[in-house]
Amino acid sequence: MNFFEKIFELFSTEKYMDIIFEGFKTTVIISVFAAILGLLIGTMVALVSISEVSPVTKVLKAICKVYITIIRGTPMALQLFIMAYVIFTFRGFPEEVTAIIAFGINSGAYVAENIRGGILSVDIGQTEAGRALGLTSRVTMFKIVIPQAIKNVIPAIGNELIALIKETSIVSMIGMFDLTMAAKIIGSGNNMASYVVPMSVVALFYLAIVYLLTFAIKLIEKRLRASDKR
Amino acid sequence: MISVNNIYKYFGDLKVLNGVSCEIEKGERIVIIGPSGSGKSTLLRCMNLLEHPTYGEVWVSSKLLTPPDPYLHFDVIKKSKTYNSLFEQLKAENPNLSDNELEEMAIKKIKAEDLLKKYEGSEYKKALKQITKDFGIDINLARQNMGMVFQHFNLFNNLTVIDNLTLAPVQLGLKTKEEAEKTAMELLKRINLEDKRDEYPSKLSGGQKQRIAIVRALAMSPDVMLFDEPTSALDPEMVGEVLDLIKELANEGMTMVIVTHEMGFAREVGTRVLFMDGGVIAEEGAPSELFDNPKNPRTVQFLKAVL
Ligand SMILES: Nc1ncnc2c1ncn2[C@@H]1O[C@H](COP(=O)(O)OP(=O)(O)OP(=O)(O)O)[C@@H](O)[C@H]1O
Ligand SMILES: [Mg+2]
Repeated sequence: MNFFEKIFELFSTEKYMDIIFEGFKTTVIISVFAAILGLLIGTMVALVSISEVSPVTKVLKAICKVYITIIRGTPMALQLFIMAYVIFTFRGFPEEVTAIIAFGINSGAYVAENIRGGILSVDIGQTEAGRALGLTSRVTMFKIVIPQAIKNVIPAIGNELIALIKETSIVSMIGMFDLTMAAKIIGSGNNMASYVVPMSVVALFYLAIVYLLTFAIKLIEKRLRASDKR
Repeated sequence: MISVNNIYKYFGDLKVLNGVSCEIEKGERIVIIGPSGSGKSTLLRCMNLLEHPTYGEVWVSSKLLTPPDPYLHFDVIKKSKTYNSLFEQLKAENPNLSDNELEEMAIKKIKAEDLLKKYEGSEYKKALKQITKDFGIDINLARQNMGMVFQHFNLFNNLTVIDNLTLAPVQLGLKTKEEAEKTAMELLKRINLEDKRDEYPSKLSGGQKQRIAIVRALAMSPDVMLFDEPTSALDPEMVGEVLDLIKELANEGMTMVIVTHEMGFAREVGTRVLFMDGGVIAEEGAPSELFDNPKNPRTVQFLKAVL
């Protein structure tokens, strides 16, 4: 049987497709919730790191700096292991949650740096004009600076989310059953007896997700750009 | 209206303002001129605290915008530990001097040698706090009455023209959205740009942007307007329309402080001209006096170069 017949066999065998969809579900769930968590953490960290220096923010700023340094300076796989085998070790703790937290915290650090860069790239004159009118730094930030920063950071955040989705493939290392693991299971079965075919099929699934996301980001970018009619 | 009291401004080690004082009365139109880097913008920006003076005080409408500067308050200095020990020491050294003379000597020495420390006892701290309590004002509140116009316009790029004009009055709770839009439309009509209400700034010419930036400030009904080189970033053919609008405001009696390189405009509009050089006001006077009869050689040299 050649490669394409095998692919056809895989798609038409219910047992295989069940395995793939099971893995697909896990990958999507982890990606989506980790992305949300990452965006939340990233936004908060970015806001802290650009806030005015005060005794309170000084401590918060230091914490954020340590967080970003550690997360960006160590491998994702190690962070996932620590989360699974050191922190959330108690039995029955849902491993999806472990993975979501690990990936959320990880992508939060990158998102924070992107957002911070985006905010700093907005002309300081915009802030000065807002403050000179008597607006508080908070209103100036949320009504003037952040709306302009978002446009600048959407592409970078999109890239970060794409990286996140692909990176989730390492959850099989803590025994989770995601898309990549599905390919491995099918490939090691007696009937398929090949990794090439299921791996290729799974690759298509990843491609599809990433393509969809890329498309969505392009759409958002276009919408945002329409609003300033340059 | 604005009172700048002996302000110094350092950017790191660079001393940009070196003890500047000036009083600006209601209805005055102060023009600040001087060579590049002399501290004109910095002085203007200290007036609404976009820059914080390193030392000295800025008062607006009898309210203190900066933290109190102890060196400007004798009664505060006299409460400091440094003063009290210095006074005793001087008294021992000069037994024949009167207390008043000793007091003067001690204060002079403290000011000259910058002797006050961060902590000078609770009495001293209390006195400083009292000044803030009596005269301090929330800077955002103070700024609502001080319009500022920038060299590079700084219209909010993410907002339409009308939203640029209404954002602050609405956000600050001074006007409802409807009231703010009504005022904004009147202001736009005044500068003949009512058809631009829904445009974004990127679609406007420099002159249009600057005129809108001016009316954005006017939408707050400020008591005073600060202009930092309002025409320097404009193409020559657009300078006129912006200067005309500023002249109009001048005729209506608006109090203004204008940093500019347009000498003809300075002479025409100003009631008083400040010539800055090296971080100090090197000369000041009525336009006719300063332009036709400059006293300071540096003023002479500057005017020769620019006129
Ligand atoms: N934020 C800043 N940080 C460091 N140095 C600054 C800052 N702002 C201004 N300076 C420096 O302070 C000096 C005075 O600046 P300022 O802008 O007040 O001059 P100016 O008289 O307005 O000059 P110009 O006519 O060129 O606008 C300059 O040497 C400038 O480089
Ligand atoms: Mg300047």
